[in-house]
Amino acid sequence: MCGHDCWRQAPLVHQRVGYLPGELAFPEGITGRAFLRLMAGMRGTRDEKRRDALLERFQLNPDIPIRKMSKGTKQKLAMVAAFMPDPAVYILDEPTSGLDPVMQKVFADLILEEKNRGKTVLMSSHSFREIEKTCDRIAIIKQGRLIAIEDIHTLQRKQRKIFEVTFGDEEAAKRAAANESFEPTRRGRTVDFVVQGDYNAFLDAIRRESVVNVSVHEQDLEDIFMDYYAGEGDVR
Amino acid sequence: MNAALFAANLKTHMKNFFSYGIGSVLYLAMIIWIFPSVSNTDMEKLIRQLPKNLIEAFNFTSGISSADHFVANEFYGLLYLLIMAIFAITTAVKLIAHHVDRGSMAFILAAPQSRVKVALTQAATLVFGLLLIAAIMTVGGWLVALAILGGDGIPFAPFFRLNAIGFLLFYAIAGYAFFFSCLFNDEKRALSVASLLTLVFYVLDLVGRLSDRLDWCRHLSVFAAYRPQDLLDGTAHVAATAIGLFAAGTALYLIGIALFSKRDLPL
Repeated sequence: MCGHDCWRQAPLVHQRVGYLPGELAFPEGITGRAFLRLMAGMRGTRDEKRRDALLERFQLNPDIPIRKMSKGTKQKLAMVAAFMPDPAVYILDEPTSGLDPVMQKVFADLILEEKNRGKTVLMSSHSFREIEKTCDRIAIIKQGRLIAIEDIHTLQRKQRKIFEVTFGDEEAAKRAAANESFEPTRRGRTVDFVVQGDYNAFLDAIRRESVVNVSVHEQDLEDIFMDYYAGEGDVR
Repeated sequence: MNAALFAANLKTHMKNFFSYGIGSVLYLAMIIWIFPSVSNTDMEKLIRQLPKNLIEAFNFTSGISSADHFVANEFYGLLYLLIMAIFAITTAVKLIAHHVDRGSMAFILAAPQSRVKVALTQAATLVFGLLLIAAIMTVGGWLVALAILGGDGIPFAPFFRLNAIGFLLFYAIAGYAFFFSCLFNDEKRALSVASLLTLVFYVLDLVGRLSDRLDWCRHLSVFAAYRPQDLLDGTAHVAATAIGLFAAGTALYLIGIALFSKRDLPL
């Protein structure tokens, strides 16, 4: 990485990497502040301005003992520790687990900022929603092997979305369901359509009828890949 | 060595270092305090009548006529070994295996410090703790003896020699405990293997003292290097013993550190 051997020149590599472990286990018996001081000390960085800005952003009080922190608070603390040294590369293992939606937004904004500053971010996730806002490329690993790397926009086009549309009356629902191209399934006034990328055609198909409600169900990441690679045989 | 890690370690372990140090001095004070009540009494005559092997096994060869020998036998012969073995083993395991087992080693190793440096810092913390406890016991024990017994208390030079070799003994014992701490992923396993080995060493030493025929057993044990009475009397080979213990301990720390820096960790 960065022209260095990851094993023999580990300190040089670590200097350029901010790491957020997936399983958080902090050293015992210290406060958040003492932990951050330890992490900064081991890096030899003394950038308290960046630390304080991050604490402010994540609304984190570092002066409580770590063992008294909730899961989300610990996650925020580890996040501050990862971002604090301002490295060139971030490796984040399921970064948003335990974070509330507000903090997930704060995190996504932070990632976008860092991206604009030219940083490389590598993160793992199980949720499409979490990464579609922040990531450019997605790789999927199955049973320890990399099976695909895709551009996020390609994937978004391939993502099948279920539009659950409720019409003004049953007749309208029947007429809309007559169009077979979106695999309609009707339950009274409500019809489920499966849409994959061709949103204009779908809107054309329903806009002549009176629509009362639309809700969208997204597939999760795994299903997208399962669909995407269904025709390519067993990955094993 | 990494200063920030060392400082954080001290913050976590300092209380422990002082409680073991001060606790040992208090035990020592208790032993010294009861000395006048057992010295030159019927109890001593009674002990004199025991079989020679038993007297040897329980460190009574020189009787209980002088305070320093009483302290050497009663405290440095058993309680001290127990207290310090517990301290050396638990602290060594806490410094490496505990972090690996819990996963907190991930944070420490993610910093741009080589593993050798990290392990060296942990070993330095352990040795610093042993040294601090030895210092507290040497000074504290001597002052306590002075206060309780009055007069000259116990002579300082032999008492210092006893504590210095005691420190080196546990430098070596902590050395293999640290080695196991680096070797195993499982904290409990590191703890039990180090404890078991120490117990085996102790039993070998005890058996060697009990029976003349099994005298050779003593030489298999690290405790062979440690004879509290001989150390007080100045009849032990202090320099050779010190060098031997120091060399063995240092080798164990270095092997442990080398092992830790190459090993595949479950983090």
